[in-house]
Amino acid sequence: MRIELSALRLPSRPRRIGREGLLLAALVVLCTIFASQSEFFFSERNLTTVLRNSVDLAVVCAGMTIVIVLGGIDVSVGGILAVSAVLIGRAYQYGMPDWVVVPVGLAAGALLGALNGAIISKTRVPPIVATLGTMYIYIAVLFLVIGGMWISGLPSTLSFLVLGTFAGLPAGVYVIGAVYLLSWLLLRRTPWGRHVVAIGCDEASARLAGIRVDRTKIQAYALLGVFAGLAAVLYVARLRNVEVNIGTNIALEAIAATILGGANIRGGIGSLLGTLMGVLFIKITQNGLVLIGVSSLWETVVIGALLIVVLILDSLESRRVS
Amino acid sequence: MTDALTQRLFFLFGLLIAAGILGALLSPHFLQVSTVAYLLQYVPVLGVLGMVQTLIMLSGGPGIDLSIGATMSLVGLAIAALFGSGVPLVLACLIGLVIGGLLGAVNALLICVLQVPSLMATLATFFAYSGLALALTGGSPIGGIPDWFGVLAQGRFLGIPIHMWTVFVPLAIVLHVMLSRTRIGSHIHAAGNDERAAFLSGVKVWRLRFALYCLSGVVAGLAAIMTLSWFQAARPDAGEGMELLSVTIAVLGGAHIFGGIGRISGTVLAVLIVTTLQVALQLANISQAWQLAAIGSLLIGSVVADNALGKKLRARARSAAT
Repeated sequence: MRIELSALRLPSRPRRIGREGLLLAALVVLCTIFASQSEFFFSERNLTTVLRNSVDLAVVCAGMTIVIVLGGIDVSVGGILAVSAVLIGRAYQYGMPDWVVVPVGLAAGALLGALNGAIISKTRVPPIVATLGTMYIYIAVLFLVIGGMWISGLPSTLSFLVLGTFAGLPAGVYVIGAVYLLSWLLLRRTPWGRHVVAIGCDEASARLAGIRVDRTKIQAYALLGVFAGLAAVLYVARLRNVEVNIGTNIALEAIAATILGGANIRGGIGSLLGTLMGVLFIKITQNGLVLIGVSSLWETVVIGALLIVVLILDSLESRRVS
Repeated sequence: MTDALTQRLFFLFGLLIAAGILGALLSPHFLQVSTVAYLLQYVPVLGVLGMVQTLIMLSGGPGIDLSIGATMSLVGLAIAALFGSGVPLVLACLIGLVIGGLLGAVNALLICVLQVPSLMATLATFFAYSGLALALTGGSPIGGIPDWFGVLAQGRFLGIPIHMWTVFVPLAIVLHVMLSRTRIGSHIHAAGNDERAAFLSGVKVWRLRFALYCLSGVVAGLAAIMTLSWFQAARPDAGEGMELLSVTIAVLGGAHIFGGIGRISGTVLAVLIVTTLQVALQLANISQAWQLAAIGSLLIGSVVADNALGKKLRARARSAAT
């Protein structure tokens, strides 16, 4: 069983290397362009800023990659992030200490994520429909709790998680590193991860092979929820406020970054390293365009164009192989 | 009580009445003739998008068009810009519809020729189009649409908005007849039910889907024209959120996300339900949160109910066969 399931990873190997190489090349080209137009781009301060801005999206994307490898999708992550953030904000307002607030945020994320997973696996509602529905519900919860007013002026006791430096590197590096290392270990080095890949490749066969499909699904969505909760903690730590429109774009951005990184929406294929590079690509584009004096509004055009190019290349390659 | 789809229509009709009663209970202003016109004002734009989304889902694949709102924004801007540069408005609208069709053809090319999953392809074009809409205008609306053009969406005939008479109702009838009475309609159903079987029996599945994605762009253009007439200005974010809302309408109306099942009449009822809820809560001055929560629960609940019903019907069919 062990050997058979690990063989499932083999087909994706050659393509994954190709995709990560391609992204690396795209990143190098992008950085060269930005650096040649603005000397500020490669400064330590700017790179730190890029990193700080990427933390939320990067953390969410790690979970999104696992869910997409599982053959699912979650468009409600923005809602989960929003509910976690507003609960964190309220908890702070009631004067709770950090060691209560952080678990509250993570637990809220885990619970909402598990709810998604339970709806998807128990009622067989397609993931995109189920999470579309829960997105509306989570946003409703956000509106009801926040009551139309921003929560602002929250304490800065956790800010070191994003804004601090350890051993010469910004703290964000460690947070992202820890999240991606954990996700990679889970996905590629544990039986659970092999189950996720197996379900993504062929759910019916995985079920017949004795994998507990429903439980694995709920766990994967809950993991994404925890990461969304963590992103909420980091968001509050960085900005110290909770806005009404928090998390509106993060779901589609996360899916875009994951697909850029080489994951296939049909399941079974995905790369955490690729996803991380996708996130960096998106965030560096955002930052660099502003620096070279192009309106940041062009950012989505660049992301969309790169996505289209990548999808076309993928399709041509798979056609050549077959 | 014959088939699941008819039951679905009864269910939706019941929901519509329930929404109406809720509105009457919540606000004394709801049961007035003026409410009908006010309510119907919102229906056509969302309605036409929901109908074409239904067609796309129905044709299978699985099919979805996430770029529909972005296409709508882009076409609206194109028309306003063309008019601003001296092109007669009616001609500009026709050119706008062609542009919509071309934007849809990009999706069709990615999905039907290059075989990219529709979710990924239209997510990419969603980013590209919505980015272009923002970047080309710098985020500011284009105005200067003459008053006479406002008649389409602001005028009334027999108390009912003119774009109901001229766009929504005719399009609903044409699409309904096409689906239920013509060969194209049965081909769409066949492609959605089992694309292999449909292909083997001579249905040109991919050509059909290609045409539907182009149609989606054209209909997004229609929605853009109605919005242009309503606000007498083209906003770069006019279609924001429409992609998920149109998917919601289609699924609530009974369209199955994996294809083969769906009806235009269901979609029409769904858009009426969502709009009635919206208007009722607005008149009663109740937080928008409850409306979102209601839509979310309806979306999941209706699919769960469908699945349960389908299981029962299948069991009955099995026992009848043995």
